[in-house]
Amino acid sequence: MKVTQVLCAAGPVDAVTNQGLACRALFTAWGWEGEDYSAVIAPGMPRGTLRPLHELQPRDGELLLLHYSGYARGLEPLFSSRRRSMLISHNITPARYFWAHEPVEGVRCELARDQLAVLCREAGALAGVSRFNAHELTACSGREADVIPVLFDRVALPPAGDGPPAGPPTILFVGRLAPHKRQDLVIRAFARFRAAEPEARLVLVGTPLSPAYGVHLQELADELAPGGVVFESGVSRDRLAEHYRSAHAFLCLSEHEGFCIPLLEAFHFGVPVIARDEGAVGEVVGDAGVLLGADDNLEVVAELLRIVTCDTELRGELRPRGERRLDEYAFARTSERLHDALTTVAGR
Amino acid sequence: MKDPGEALAAARRAAAQAPPAAADEGGEWHLQDPAASARRLAEWAIIEPEEAEIYSTRRLGRPITWIKQLLVKLLRQYIGQISAQQSRFNAQMAAHVMRLEERVAVLEEAARRHDADDQPPR
Repeated sequence: MKVTQVLCAAGPVDAVTNQGLACRALFTAWGWEGEDYSAVIAPGMPRGTLRPLHELQPRDGELLLLHYSGYARGLEPLFSSRRRSMLISHNITPARYFWAHEPVEGVRCELARDQLAVLCREAGALAGVSRFNAHELTACSGREADVIPVLFDRVALPPAGDGPPAGPPTILFVGRLAPHKRQDLVIRAFARFRAAEPEARLVLVGTPLSPAYGVHLQELADELAPGGVVFESGVSRDRLAEHYRSAHAFLCLSEHEGFCIPLLEAFHFGVPVIARDEGAVGEVVGDAGVLLGADDNLEVVAELLRIVTCDTELRGELRPRGERRLDEYAFARTSERLHDALTTVAGR
Repeated sequence: MKDPGEALAAARRAAAQAPPAAADEGGEWHLQDPAASARRLAEWAIIEPEEAEIYSTRRLGRPITWIKQLLVKLLRQYIGQISAQQSRFNAQMAAHVMRLEERVAVLEEAARRHDADDQPPR
């Protein structure tokens, strides 16, 4: 079988690019041929990994797999009435989150939503990486959409620590510094928690949406929790593992998430998760973390941080629950789902 | 505590009893209206390219950065002209939006007064 993958944009630290590359490795292991293309290829991508989209001339027999993550010119004609094609949506952030900080990003998101609706009508099969994403696809196309979660290979991650970390209470969040991820709320909640725990520190790992947005968060941190917040980006796998191992809680206050891989990473490292039940977060976390409701507030988050960082019994209970969530998203299970979905589409 | 639900309930009880925190502007649980302010629009309107923004993300990119900086210096007159042209348009648009915002505010205020006048005396 020949599967050609199409990405909207590719970069060296991009989660969707990593998914595309992981899929390609699987296809090769299954004996499937094909190449990978991207509409935009960022500097830093190893040469020869992907080809520019304009070079793609699909033949009749091959299957096109589109990892949709954002607006890209020239996609529609490729998928027009193509039965042997599949669109996997990695989610589009609502544009409204970007107007105040990066309006160009907002415009791209608006365009992406329109383009996604067109592509959903044309593609042979649809899938979302979460039920939340699949519902969005169904809502914009009226068609059924499967759920194929992200490929999460915990074997590739460094091992977890042995027990609760030593050192001052450390709160961690990993994710692009962007308005919908609400690192601003994480900082505010942390500042309240820190009032009772002056030694506490917050670690925010992620590349800022823009230099200006990074400065905006840094200023907020300097004002509310001077000296207590560490910002890092472009960290190595081992450095990221160190952050997880030294964290007493993983705090995710995102208002919109299509999946959120760091939640699974937190489970892998045995870090207790506190998260808002928004987007796909609730279905990924399940019963393995504390899920905040729509009526909760920063004071509740601060109290939860106090409880979670010192309650070893709760930490001990959450760890096996996290392991069960990791079983649910096991690499073998997800690859089987992907294999079944693609062979079904290829048989058309 | 063995259950996340129990932990959440305990946190909610404790939060309800806690003294109200000091005013914390901008800390809404849900972003209500994250549109750009008129001031931010005005900031964006004027384009002033900075030399620090000229760089290369490639490994050993220093010579590339130097060539780019040289090119920008050579093209300074042209870049200045097109930046000014774009800034003029942006500033006009920003001013237009601000004038519309002021008019909407005046009309909303007038509508509120009109509604208040229509209320029967109690």
